Amino acid sequence: MRVLAALPLVLVFLLPLAASLLFVLPDAVNAGALRELVAHPQFSGALRLSLFTGLASTALSLLAALAITFAAGGRNLAGRAGVFLAVPHLSLAIGLAFLIMPTGVVARLFALLAGWNAPPQWVTTQDPWGFSLIVALVLKETPFLVWAFASLLNRDDLRRQFEGQQAVARSLGHGPASTFLRILLPQLLPRAAGPLIAVLAYGLTVVDMALVIGPTQPPVLAQLVWTDINDADPAVSARGGAGVVVLGLVVALVVAASALAAVMFKKVRQRFYGAAPRPGRGMPRGLAALWPAFLAIYAAAVLIMIVQSLSGHWPFPQRLPDVVTWKAWSHLAADPAPLLTSLALALASAAAALAACVAWLEWTPARADRVLAPAAVLVLCLPALLLALGEYRLFLALGVTGSAAALFLAHLLPVTAYVFLLLAGPYRAFDPRWQATAHGLRARRLPFLLRIKWPMLKAPLLSAAAIGFAVSVVQFVPAQLAAAGRFATLPMEAVTLSSGGNRALIATYGLALMALPLAGFLLASRLSRPRWSTP
Amino acid sequence: MLSLQDIAISMADGTPLITAVSLEAAAGETVTLMGPSGSGKSSLLSFIGGDLTSAMTATGRVTLNGKDILHLPPERRRIARLFQDDLLFPHMTVAENLLFAVPMAPQAERHAKMQQALADAGLEGFANRPPHTLSGGQRARVALLRALLAEPQALLLDEPFSKLDRDLRATIRAFTFDHIRARAIPALLVTHDREDVPAGGRVLEITARGEIRHV
Repeated sequence: MRVLAALPLVLVFLLPLAASLLFVLPDAVNAGALRELVAHPQFSGALRLSLFTGLASTALSLLAALAITFAAGGRNLAGRAGVFLAVPHLSLAIGLAFLIMPTGVVARLFALLAGWNAPPQWVTTQDPWGFSLIVALVLKETPFLVWAFASLLNRDDLRRQFEGQQAVARSLGHGPASTFLRILLPQLLPRAAGPLIAVLAYGLTVVDMALVIGPTQPPVLAQLVWTDINDADPAVSARGGAGVVVLGLVVALVVAASALAAVMFKKVRQRFYGAAPRPGRGMPRGLAALWPAFLAIYAAAVLIMIVQSLSGHWPFPQRLPDVVTWKAWSHLAADPAPLLTSLALALASAAAALAACVAWLEWTPARADRVLAPAAVLVLCLPALLLALGEYRLFLALGVTGSAAALFLAHLLPVTAYVFLLLAGPYRAFDPRWQATAHGLRARRLPFLLRIKWPMLKAPLLSAAAIGFAVSVVQFVPAQLAAAGRFATLPMEAVTLSSGGNRALIATYGLALMALPLAGFLLASRLSRPRWSTP
Repeated sequence: MLSLQDIAISMADGTPLITAVSLEAAAGETVTLMGPSGSGKSSLLSFIGGDLTSAMTATGRVTLNGKDILHLPPERRRIARLFQDDLLFPHMTVAENLLFAVPMAPQAERHAKMQQALADAGLEGFANRPPHTLSGGQRARVALLRALLAEPQALLLDEPFSKLDRDLRATIRAFTFDHIRARAIPALLVTHDREDVPAGGRVLEITARGEIRHV
């Protein structure tokens, strides 16, 4: 039974993952392609840009998330952060672009005030320094880190410890800021290493957001590599392969350097920890406004997408479009294939991942997670490009590129990683005495699972499924490679459209892309409502 | 009759926790096991109940009314358990918690048994209440009645009174032991509190060396 229960995850997760990593090895040792890559006129500029945008966005997101966590002063923000998590990266990038582009909402507001008649000469979206990409990344990653911190701070065991420690620190004369910095922060950051590395890796290697809002001449390295991989010329494609490996190395080096910095910090920590109590002057007022500011920007981005999706001709500097039309939406309705493909893939991969993970967690001993958890973390921390390229080469070798099965598997890998990491904690922590009690009442395993355990774990099961669903919907890089042009999904369409000029259509796809995960989260939260609220 | 013969339990690293424990509990009798924390009292109950963690190894023989039970899955051993916490299923009403334990029978009969149990506990009218709305004493009684509704042939009590308020304990103890006697099933009670021992009941102590000593 144990072997049988472990089999699904081994077959659909561990094996494809290992095989994919194996299949990028040839790219790693292709010295000729690497030389080609380094000789690329845009290589060094692209690498610099990637490092800059990746590091700056991670550092700023971390600072913002810490400031928001501190300002919350113990309130649980996990639930509120969920709203932000439901908005896909790509939709946010599209909405943000509509806000800040030279003919966007912000410029129109300025025009109204300053009496401009022509769009300003701003280079806001796709600016050569990558600032707009950084802003988009910070907007997206900060709520994720807030959520990660809040989940840690509100874990039953940690929460009690932290509350006690903070009370002691305060009683010794440390103010809130000093307590936060010296008591919470040093215990929080090491525990949040996983989410932080994921944010860093994402910022260094993101493709879809960069295609919408990132710099172009040169682009970030991930985008340069992406163009190469998709080239029909095998030599150029091989250069892309070398680029993927370089991206992987960049992530590894930056993570190693960050870890080194953390160790260096430990050397000076005595001065930091041993500092005298400082009552502090209360919280800077601006800090409390940070979290609502994020909410406001998200709301503005979504709102402008809605307006854009309904707008026809909209000359600058008019505040409102000349024509309001359903044309873009009827276009989506006339060609529902991408929407339906995305929906079907998300339903199938979330369901399959949930079933496989539950089977694993229910029937294998907890120590089996020591194999699976690192593999799942690896999927989240590796550049999506690396894994996707490995999958692509694997599919080519198996002759299944462009098949529905390949597309499904490409979605299933990241979905499974998320579902497993979200579910393993609550599932393994389920008090074994419930089972002893149920068996004592003569209930067999299946009735126990169906009537006691799974209903009691309803909330984590449903939220893992909803997040798995959302993760599937937003897959771009692996989807594009695996589909080989035979299937289109929502993010693929949205990226394709964003290089064209039909803003109404871009907005419509950005919204459709957002609607699916949102519907998933709403349904999950509706279904996971407990029968009654317990104190 | 619940009978334990030469039970030995050792930890994952081979350290013996319990060595050569033998004891018998007759029908209607509650035998009390005492001993220092970590002496393996709870592990012994888990072994009998069938959910000893796979990290531990155990040997010996356990029979219930003359039949070997160790090869049976927990749900077929007919041994009900009570813990420190009442472990009422939080997503089920009181009635559903009780019905969960009532064996297969025509629906009317099962409901009658559930109603009878509620009446026994003095909890008529609480059938459709969620467990968290009950007081500690009410919950403890429901937990015991739920265990008994399963018609167990033995009962394992793992410090079931230790989290109750002091003034409640005497009542719940009496309630528990009365029901055990009435059902005429053997019970093992693990506790730290000498006051938990039923009047005239036998007390066994697990020593630090993992052996059993009659007190």
